[in-house]
Amino acid sequence: MKFSSTLRSLTAASALAAAAGSAFAQDKPDSFDIGVFTFLSGPAAAYGMPGRQGAEVMIEQINAAGGIGGVPVSATFVDEAQGAEGVISEYRRLGEEPTTDFMIAALSSGNCLALAPIADQMKMPTVGWNCDTHQLFAKEDHPFFYRPNGNTIAEFMSYVLYFLDKNPDVKRVAIINPDYSFGHDAAEIVKATLKSLKPGTEVVAELFPKMGSSTYQTEISRLSAARPDVIFSNLWGGDLENFVRQAAPRGLFRQSQAVFALGESSMNNVAMPEGVIVGVLGDGWWRSPDAAKLGATEFATAYQEKYGKDPVFPAMKMANAFVVMKAAYEQAIEANGGAWPSKEQVTAAMEGMSINTLTGSMTFRADNDGIVDQVVGTIGSVEGIEGPVLTDMVRYDGSKVLPPEGEDPMVWIGSLTPEFLAAMPKPGSYK
Amino acid sequence: MKRSALVTAAALLILALAPLALPFLQFVLTIAIAKGFAALGVALLLRAGLISLGHAMFYAIGAYAAAFMATTLGITDFALLIIGSTAISAFFGVLFGLFLVRYRAIFFAMLNLAVSMVIYALASKLYGITGGTDGLRVAVPTVFGMTLEKSSFDGLLYYTAIVLVALLGYLVHRYLKSPLGHALSAVHSNEVRLEYLGVSAWSTLLTAYGISAALAGVGGAIAALSIGHVLPEFAFWTESGHLVLTAVLGGIAGIAGPFLGSVFLEIVHTVAVGYAAEAWNMIVGIALLVVIFFLPRGLFGLFERLVGRKSTDGEPTL
Repeated sequence: MKFSSTLRSLTAASALAAAAGSAFAQDKPDSFDIGVFTFLSGPAAAYGMPGRQGAEVMIEQINAAGGIGGVPVSATFVDEAQGAEGVISEYRRLGEEPTTDFMIAALSSGNCLALAPIADQMKMPTVGWNCDTHQLFAKEDHPFFYRPNGNTIAEFMSYVLYFLDKNPDVKRVAIINPDYSFGHDAAEIVKATLKSLKPGTEVVAELFPKMGSSTYQTEISRLSAARPDVIFSNLWGGDLENFVRQAAPRGLFRQSQAVFALGESSMNNVAMPEGVIVGVLGDGWWRSPDAAKLGATEFATAYQEKYGKDPVFPAMKMANAFVVMKAAYEQAIEANGGAWPSKEQVTAAMEGMSINTLTGSMTFRADNDGIVDQVVGTIGSVEGIEGPVLTDMVRYDGSKVLPPEGEDPMVWIGSLTPEFLAAMPKPGSYK
Repeated sequence: MKRSALVTAAALLILALAPLALPFLQFVLTIAIAKGFAALGVALLLRAGLISLGHAMFYAIGAYAAAFMATTLGITDFALLIIGSTAISAFFGVLFGLFLVRYRAIFFAMLNLAVSMVIYALASKLYGITGGTDGLRVAVPTVFGMTLEKSSFDGLLYYTAIVLVALLGYLVHRYLKSPLGHALSAVHSNEVRLEYLGVSAWSTLLTAYGISAALAGVGGAIAALSIGHVLPEFAFWTESGHLVLTAVLGGIAGIAGPFLGSVFLEIVHTVAVGYAAEAWNMIVGIALLVVIFFLPRGLFGLFERLVGRKSTDGEPTL
């Protein structure tokens, strides 16, 4: 009896001490809790899972090196396949837990558009790791939502610059994109860029197959009949792989120059013919010269050891989101005199931040959009490396291909002239 | 009867107090109530033996109506937005109902599905108007001229939704007890006899269809204001299937059924996603199987046991 009451008072005293201790040292939590939003199920997981795997590798590496400001990172993964309502309720649930420090969300542009105002409302520093719609910061400011990523304008314009340089005689262009905003946006950007940089080019086919189609035979027939010089596509995941598998035997890639904007993420899964133009929607090609200098190789080695394959660019985008988060916290800790920063201080650290990610430099503009370079190349092979790699590369300066802040992007593209193309670096210039 | 009113009041009270204990539940429950309204619409038609596999279209119409009124027409008042979207949704309900209620059984289900997929396609393809698959933003509305922070507006929206559950729930209850409501069940049990009694099955069903569309519209408007963003996926057929499932799972014998089903599904979903990001689909599936095996009258069966009502007191078995 006596013993138990002593025990009880002891426990109470220690609990009190612990509570008091944590109150004073509240500045530094036991673990750095973040929410990571990506697709874990359904067809989009083809893109979402490399993102998750990139996150796992980054967390291991950060924790092995002592965590962020000495605090180990612990992530809660959330499946975006559950739809916007589910994603928002998970964001709120995590955000309302006082232990949550940071969010990395999301893959889908629709989800980013829905989450950005909620990030502001909850004052939760958030980094959009993949979503790239140029609508995100077009109408409203989102002081708590940052995107270290560039947007669709810079991404798709770069492909047009590249294929125009590669095929100066191009007259007929065909477009085959997935049937949702991402595909339609890309088609508009490609058409507008062509109109400004090479007037007189004809768009001979514009196809928007449904996502998750099992057969592309009608589209392939249509493309064959239209005899385009260049076929542009931002199909991705299983759709892109299906399309390539069905189009290659029918000789489509011998007839036309194919441009697969998201090709790098699929080139290890499907035999893409050499000479196809692919890219990484940014600078996330882990074998690029800059990336090799910045530490992407160590990341890739750890990734290969863990998952038995090369990291594709969604994994690099995710890894770079972690780099941004880590840098923001470290800057905020420094600015705070070594004490653990508040969420507002972390957000303030991201304002205008300029850092090196694993694959290049990244600078946040005043509208929180990140300026990153755009790497585009052609599939080829290099001695000593198994599997396809990007050759004949170019690296476009991110600030030159991004429309100026506050300007309507389509109007800006309309104002460009063929001289713009002439002033750009040429394919093969990035070695 | 007295007892059921008591249990309903207790349930509403629990609903009202839940966010105080777990703040994140407020959003989950707001969405659950929103979908509960749409499921109640489906349940109404189920009483007449009609399964609508496209009711999410009215949910989406309600949501998009709120978004359009707020952005294009500049109507920012909270009450006007909800009333307006309900009216628009009801209008489309009557419009589509004009030809849809001529059909029965699988034809009714399939035609609803077809119309809803047309709405889905329009929402995702009319890029310039609806924002395509990226959807439309819905700003925080004003409340009788006052501008609120999003968080306090969310609180207001939640309690308004609970009041609406009580109010509209009671009205639907009265409707089902009225001759028009009984005629609705009669369509299921014996349509020919109903016509011989001099009651038009067509107009009975059209009324019910309009009411059910209005209910789904209320739900859609609440969801749009709560999420702050509308997307074409609101009208997708899986969402319609979800509504039918919610209605059946909750039980269609009483007004509380669809709401019970909706709250149950949303909470199971949230817990499953929170604790097993990889296996949430399976957990939700297992939870559904458990309810279907052990509560053949849906979750409403539990309610009936609580209030001591006999299971045969309810409306037609399907």
